[in-house]
Amino acid sequence: MTVRNETRGGAPDDGAVAVQRPPAEVRYADELAALRADDRDPRPPGWELSLRAARRFIVGDAGTGIGRKFVGNPSLVDRALVTLATSRGLMLVGEPGTAKSLLSELIAAAVSGDSTLTVQGGAATTEDQIKYGWNYALLVAEGPSTRSLVPAPMLRGMAEGRLVRFEEITRCPLEVQDSLLSLLSERVVAVPELTGPEGMVFARQGFNVIATANTRDRGVNEMSAALKRRFNFETVFPIPDLDTELALVEAEVTTLLRRSGVEPPPDRDVLEVLVGTFRELRAGAGDKGGAGGSDRPTAVMSTAEAVSVAHAVGVRGWFLRGEPGSAADVVACLAGTAAKDSPEDLARLRRYLEQQVPRRHGPQWKALYDARHLLAD
Amino acid sequence: MPAVFLGVRHHSPACARLVERTVEELRPAQVLIEGPAEMNGRLDELLLGHELPVAVFSHYRDERRAATSWAPLCDYSPEWVALRAGRAAGAEVRFIDLPAWHPAFAERTNRYADAEIRYAEATERLCRHFAVDSSDALWDRLFEVEPDDGLADRLDAYFALVRGDAAADAGDRARETYMAAWVRAAVGRAGNRPVLVVTGGFHQPALRALTEPGGEGCAQDECWEQDEDGWPRVPAPPKGAMAGSFLVPYSFRQLDAFAGYQSGMPSPGYYQRVWDAGPEAAADGLLRVVVERLRARRFPVSTADLIAARSLAQGLTALRGHPSPARIDVLDGLAGALITDDLDRPLPWTTRGALTTGVHPVVVEMLAACGGDRTGRLHPGTPAPPLVHDVAARLAALVLDGGTGTSYRLDLTDATDLERSRVLHRLRVLGIPGHGRTAGPEHGADPVFTERWEAQAAPGREAALVEAGAYGATLAEAAAVALAERARAAAAEADDLAKTLFDAVVCGMDGFSEQLLGELSSQVGGLRTAGPLGGILATALGLWRHDRVFGMARGPLLASVVEGATARLLWLLEGARGPAGVDRPRLRAVVAVRDTVVHAPELLPVTRATVAGIARRINDDPEAPLDLRGAAFGLHRALAEEPDAFGDPADAVRAVARAGADALGDWLAGLFALARDEVTGVVGEDGPGGGSLIDVLDGLIRALPDDEFLAGLPALRQAFAFFPPRERERIAGRLLERRGVRGSSRSLLRTTADPLLIAGARTLEESVSRLLARYDLGATP
Repeated sequence: MTVRNETRGGAPDDGAVAVQRPPAEVRYADELAALRADDRDPRPPGWELSLRAARRFIVGDAGTGIGRKFVGNPSLVDRALVTLATSRGLMLVGEPGTAKSLLSELIAAAVSGDSTLTVQGGAATTEDQIKYGWNYALLVAEGPSTRSLVPAPMLRGMAEGRLVRFEEITRCPLEVQDSLLSLLSERVVAVPELTGPEGMVFARQGFNVIATANTRDRGVNEMSAALKRRFNFETVFPIPDLDTELALVEAEVTTLLRRSGVEPPPDRDVLEVLVGTFRELRAGAGDKGGAGGSDRPTAVMSTAEAVSVAHAVGVRGWFLRGEPGSAADVVACLAGTAAKDSPEDLARLRRYLEQQVPRRHGPQWKALYDARHLLAD
Repeated sequence: MPAVFLGVRHHSPACARLVERTVEELRPAQVLIEGPAEMNGRLDELLLGHELPVAVFSHYRDERRAATSWAPLCDYSPEWVALRAGRAAGAEVRFIDLPAWHPAFAERTNRYADAEIRYAEATERLCRHFAVDSSDALWDRLFEVEPDDGLADRLDAYFALVRGDAAADAGDRARETYMAAWVRAAVGRAGNRPVLVVTGGFHQPALRALTEPGGEGCAQDECWEQDEDGWPRVPAPPKGAMAGSFLVPYSFRQLDAFAGYQSGMPSPGYYQRVWDAGPEAAADGLLRVVVERLRARRFPVSTADLIAARSLAQGLTALRGHPSPARIDVLDGLAGALITDDLDRPLPWTTRGALTTGVHPVVVEMLAACGGDRTGRLHPGTPAPPLVHDVAARLAALVLDGGTGTSYRLDLTDATDLERSRVLHRLRVLGIPGHGRTAGPEHGADPVFTERWEAQAAPGREAALVEAGAYGATLAEAAAVALAERARAAAAEADDLAKTLFDAVVCGMDGFSEQLLGELSSQVGGLRTAGPLGGILATALGLWRHDRVFGMARGPLLASVVEGATARLLWLLEGARGPAGVDRPRLRAVVAVRDTVVHAPELLPVTRATVAGIARRINDDPEAPLDLRGAAFGLHRALAEEPDAFGDPADAVRAVARAGADALGDWLAGLFALARDEVTGVVGEDGPGGGSLIDVLDGLIRALPDDEFLAGLPALRQAFAFFPPRERERIAGRLLERRGVRGSSRSLLRTTADPLLIAGARTLEESVSRLLARYDLGATP
């Protein structure tokens, strides 16, 4: 079984110190409790919070000291929450590294108080990892019964009226994806091995599904129309605005660098050049106004990737020369990111450095241009 | 009695309602409106009974700059309502802003563009506070869907906040002191009766401060002269400049922020319905129109989808705390329910600005439904816009005003005839009927220097002229705006773009309009195939270097196209992939790049060495198509300072030949297209290394087995087709010489029979000899 809830940490003081990354409902337990206490708005049946409180939890609320946890468009969060309160599931699609999983985790924590009912999709995912399986020792000894039945996240979510997260749904085989069909429309799972009322598990109020799919591996195009129709689609985009992304990268990198023992904070101008480069490559550099598809690198140019490159830049500058990372380090580290999969991307990066960067102004952009030879031929 | 200030957002139904109510309650003696003061003598023209939207169109031209701007008015514009209701209430109504030509408006083409957008910091903070995506959503949330009580106070608070920490620029400052002068004059004249001032909310706090009794008044240099009645004088345009304002018809499409620049609110069609019938009805209407449009386009919208869209919209309305559905609630609901794909671009209403390509078709239909298709119409009694007179005067001056059936033969090398041709072409691009061209140059490289035009019957000509009047005051300006619009619409279509560019050339648009310039070069930068782009570059470069006919040589229009096209081509070429074979348009594009680097390096942001480096990498790239690699080899030789450092062509040929004869043919085609002189030296007598390539090739081809030779023959023939006959003859001569044969090299090139027939005969002969060999019938020696 790939149910993740074995890792669930409980309250932060009883041993959660050992957990690398406690789930959202543990990390933000205080905020959730405060929101629940002040929540006067109507709640959809089966929800732990009202829609408005859930929204405040995710997009933040300066007045009550709730931090902003998701930096995308607030209207996306609105649509996602309203969708979950209706009878359709929510499908979050987007490039890797756009915080889809984070968003689904936050929503599940806010709506159900539990983000751990998760199915991780993959080529080997089978139906019993979604609905239910059996404890074979008990099954042989006692025959089918509720004791020998091992409920998987969907069945538990339905029985308990909670949100179930289905990560990377498009990586599952199509027939496995389609096993969700009846579950989403009839809202019931039949367990033919059991007799009596236990043979039918009806979804309680509060049950719904948040699926995520990334557009790189296997897009949503192959998904059956019948299943598509049971979901509302929301595309999650990279952070739209430079300043927000820059601030996020700066904050993350500063923490990471400190943890790696690098003393000087990252140079903001260098970070700006780095984030700017990522943004332009992501949008399909050299393609003013067009849709950019053909010029986009195949490597993932996400904010998360920018953070890791910036981290590498800082480490390199400090441990090699004892100074903050420079634009030349950016070029050297970018080669590693962009050329991860393909020489095509390396060529794209070189084209960008040679042809687009000289049009930019500023000393760091110039330094970036001057360091272009650091890309291996 | 102090003035009552209403700060409004242009094109806002809520503000329009507020203005209407305030006029009714206040019964003011004076209504002052942000609008071009030079129109004050002609306000009656505005109230003739037009079908809105219409715009006050202002134009200006002196030796240094030309500017046009619009002040659009629709049914729900607060300015329009103030004008209409103020008159109806018996008030004196006046426009109090500076004329559009005043330097305060430099760079602005729409008087009623949202000023607060320029000072985004405060709106951004508010957006974050209210957790909305964009200032439009914020505005709807705070004002349009809220009940009208307390609206004026909320507006005051909002605009005070927006204005708060923003330092207004010099233009704003000039306009505000001028408007304040009007307010002071009006208050003085109105005595005890109220004065109502309707201006953009951004200016309202400043105006209030400037007109406070005992306030700062005006500094010495900011005082405006007064006329004999005590009103501020309307500044006159500088001597020698031409300026004026006229009414022109306008359309919702022009008004829509998704369709163009600097517009006020997006989705005028939707807000018209809000104004006419209220937000509930507008939301219903929008849903209906979108579904009708989608179904008409055969996009399946099921009843279940409709239910989902409706319930989503209602849920969003409730979640966001809107008393009635706002525009984005309906749009978000529709998008959530109808789109079952991943999107390429974020939903347009989550940001601000014009639509880009790659927007989901459902979203495009939704926005079109929001935009509406209403077009204004002027009352027949309205004085004609200046364009009408300009056209008439020009046609008369150039003796082009003959009746139907007159034909004109224009010699483009003659200055007057060229001017005539330009005028007729400009009329053509504006879509004004009356003249048709029956002959003339078709494209930039067409060596035709005469044109024939015929005057035709032209129903609807007057209406078309008035409509085109919205584009500009003079024919040239109007044509430039129309062409820029066309260039924008041509997005990523090379043919359309080339046509637009050629039209800009024949219209003589050089240096006329920054907007056209920017539009053309940025659209060129968006093309995706090298071939057509190369065609555009070659033509533009040729005209830039040599044009004497259209007068475009060395001009900025072509320079910007050349620059944009070269940068884009380099980008595309280095990433090019594709099947084997020779892509001739693409090879010509490489030639065009070479010519640009050699003949117009001053136009390019990249250096010659960079381009040579790019060429070198393309040639080294094993994934690149072979013809392109050959061309890159040639490009490198043509541009690099030390061409030989890159390797001997003969070695390169040997390396390519290992991949087979047809690969060699493709590669050679590319090479010969770019650098046949440099490489073969057949033109100059045996240069350094010249001729040796031919020798190497001869050796390679002779060594080919027959069937491989036949397989590679078409590609090889194609490669040598890049040589003109005389050079081919020299090559043939050289081959004869190598074999020590005497004879006419020409006869080698001109076979007596069709080469295909000869090849067929050879194949037949070979299969016969194979058959004979198989049965051991002793092949003939």
